[in-house]
Amino acid sequence: MSSSTKSPATLREAARSSDSASKLPARHSATQLSLTLSTVPEQAESLAQIPFPTPRQAPRLWLCLYFPALPLEALVRDKAPASRAIVEEQQGIPKILLASAEAAAAGINSGMGINAALALDSTVELLLREPAREQRAFNELATWAECFTSFVTRDHSPALLLEIAGSLRLFGGVSRLQDCVLEELRQHGYSVNAAIAPTPLAATWLARAGHRVCIDDPAHLHGALSELPLSCLDWPAAVIDSLQGMGISELGDCLRLPRQGFAKRFGSARLLQLDRALGRLADPRAAYRTTARFKLEYDLLSELDDKQLLLNVCEELLRELQHFLLVRQSAVQRLQFRFCHFDKPATQIVVACAQAAHTADYWLELLRIRMENVEFAAPVIAIGLRAGKGQAIVLQSDVLPLEEVVRQADDVSIGPVVERLIARMGARSIHGVQNVAEYRPQYAWKKKAVDDTRTPRCEAPPVYWPGSGCLAPFSAAVADTASLLRRPLWLLPQPRPLKMTNGEPVYQGSLTILEGPERLETGWWDEAGIARDYYIALSGRGVRLWVYRDRADTGRHWFLHGFFG
Amino acid sequence: MNDSLQKLLQSSKLWKGRAKAGGAEQQGLASGYPKLDHVLPGGGWPRNAVTEILLSDYGIGELQLLMPALVRLTTGAEQSPAGWIAWIAPPFQPYPPALSQWGMDVSRVLVMRPEKNTEILWAADQALSSGTFAAVLLWPVSLGGRDCRRLQLAAEKGHSWGIVFRQSRAAGKISAAALRIQLMPGSTGTDIGILKSRGGRPVVVRDYAS
Repeated sequence: MSSSTKSPATLREAARSSDSASKLPARHSATQLSLTLSTVPEQAESLAQIPFPTPRQAPRLWLCLYFPALPLEALVRDKAPASRAIVEEQQGIPKILLASAEAAAAGINSGMGINAALALDSTVELLLREPAREQRAFNELATWAECFTSFVTRDHSPALLLEIAGSLRLFGGVSRLQDCVLEELRQHGYSVNAAIAPTPLAATWLARAGHRVCIDDPAHLHGALSELPLSCLDWPAAVIDSLQGMGISELGDCLRLPRQGFAKRFGSARLLQLDRALGRLADPRAAYRTTARFKLEYDLLSELDDKQLLLNVCEELLRELQHFLLVRQSAVQRLQFRFCHFDKPATQIVVACAQAAHTADYWLELLRIRMENVEFAAPVIAIGLRAGKGQAIVLQSDVLPLEEVVRQADDVSIGPVVERLIARMGARSIHGVQNVAEYRPQYAWKKKAVDDTRTPRCEAPPVYWPGSGCLAPFSAAVADTASLLRRPLWLLPQPRPLKMTNGEPVYQGSLTILEGPERLETGWWDEAGIARDYYIALSGRGVRLWVYRDRADTGRHWFLHGFFG
Repeated sequence: MNDSLQKLLQSSKLWKGRAKAGGAEQQGLASGYPKLDHVLPGGGWPRNAVTEILLSDYGIGELQLLMPALVRLTTGAEQSPAGWIAWIAPPFQPYPPALSQWGMDVSRVLVMRPEKNTEILWAADQALSSGTFAAVLLWPVSLGGRDCRRLQLAAEKGHSWGIVFRQSRAAGKISAAALRIQLMPGSTGTDIGILKSRGGRPVVVRDYAS
């Protein structure tokens, strides 16, 4: 297709509609129709030859929630109603996109210039459209909708599609479910157009047209869709103009057109859309998957520095978290609170617990403890909450009153006290210990995270050389000799060099050697190999020491490595 | 003479050292050292109470003194289920291979390292009163009379054994601990001086381990 064959009008047309219909530009002029005939693939004709394909799938019912005022409500839904309007730049000129009911009453309409709007109502509050907040609100709505069905999908209009056929029994019928959804949305402060239809596209179009209907029989679809105006179709303006030019103003007129001709003029995609809306073709949708991790930001209405008031706000955030976790049947082990200040770096508070939890009250208690010793540098203006990775809730059944409660001996759970301790001191301040089969004293043990202590004890052989077959005999040998060699109860984190006097080590005066030497020469396979002679020595003040002579260098340096406490 | 003695013993005005105020004497937790058990009221470490150990240097056998009793707590020989042992702010690293040599179940050991003294005392208070820990060992930077009283109450509430390690110079200070002992390393072995013992008398045990 060379550009020379395009008329200037076509170019303009293409430029105008390039955004919304880039895949299939409008083809309605005579020149383009001829081009279409020569270049449009045979797909259009082959589709047109298939008269009425019948989908094979389980009956579905789609509830479409269309949010006509989302740009406005995303910004102001928790404020008192007032004369407001959303302004968006259209081709470099700021224009009214959406007006609140009060502003509309004053005569402000979408598409109006700012000056015209101010002339009509000088008190109108003009707000610039914020697509990011809109998107956030839309995502929150999609997440919220997941509590009614397991399948939520989003339409860019912006509309949510909920597959409700599977939820009817739980909620007690279509009308109850719909009432439930609409009531919750009203409480959240969103205005919505809802429609129910057996196909997602039909539901979307009905909702966009503002028809509050419930069609559960596919046979009624044709009739219901026929009355819809073309404006609800979300087709490019050029296509709508062209159809209206042909005297077609309703969808029903469109459906009466010859299929083949319609496909040729307006593209096979439009015909496919019509077929999908009527349920003649399957319309597979991708399910909306919310983020696996909970994240919420909350801007405070005023600066706060009172901890109790902040905790109240945090409680609200935690309730949201609880709902988020509950619909996913998951729990988290770690929460991160971020308290933002006006001109100071934000204060971070991490609350963690050994066993994953999902109830708001539980987390609030931990946060309360954690907040006790936090000082805020400045008043807080916003609070952010991020949750760690979710994991499946482990449910426990309550004990029947008749049964006697028996605590099992191998139950090594340490209970909620450790969670309180971790919440206040941080997980790094608490650890368990375990032995490692290793001759080098500093590697013969390691720290164990507290949440590991929950798992039942198992006598697994310590991993020493991964993949080698001589693992078990080696660890057994270490264990055997370990029982023969005396080890101190206190170990220094780092060996401490001892002062030398006349070539002899001293610690609180001269040392008396009680036992030794025990020669350790091992670890040649890594960088931390040792060659040491260990002795048990008694200091002048009765302290029993574990000292060694380092044979690795000159053999004249002595170190203190532990105490027989 | 005998009659007047009987009369005196029956008098409610007389305070009898060994017997507890309103009931039978509580069985102590055997220390594993016969010499020491002999002088301790109840024949062992006081249960549900705080024991204070005063010493001048670490490494003079202060842990060995406690090990037999602690081992029995972790292995479930003393109580069922087996209890946990908290080490709060120890001056060095408790060395697990050595603990295992003594027979302790190291999977029951929990080490905490709070940064500030108030945090140490708070953690000890929580651990003692929770009922989860059979014993709580702590090394506070400083310990006031009220803190000590609080720990004692927490130990009673949680049926736990609190062990506080303090410097010898704190011997003259007031303490609510049920038992206060001072370790004195000697040439032959470590001696124990019992400074205060609820229901007992201050004595000195020479070379307790022998």
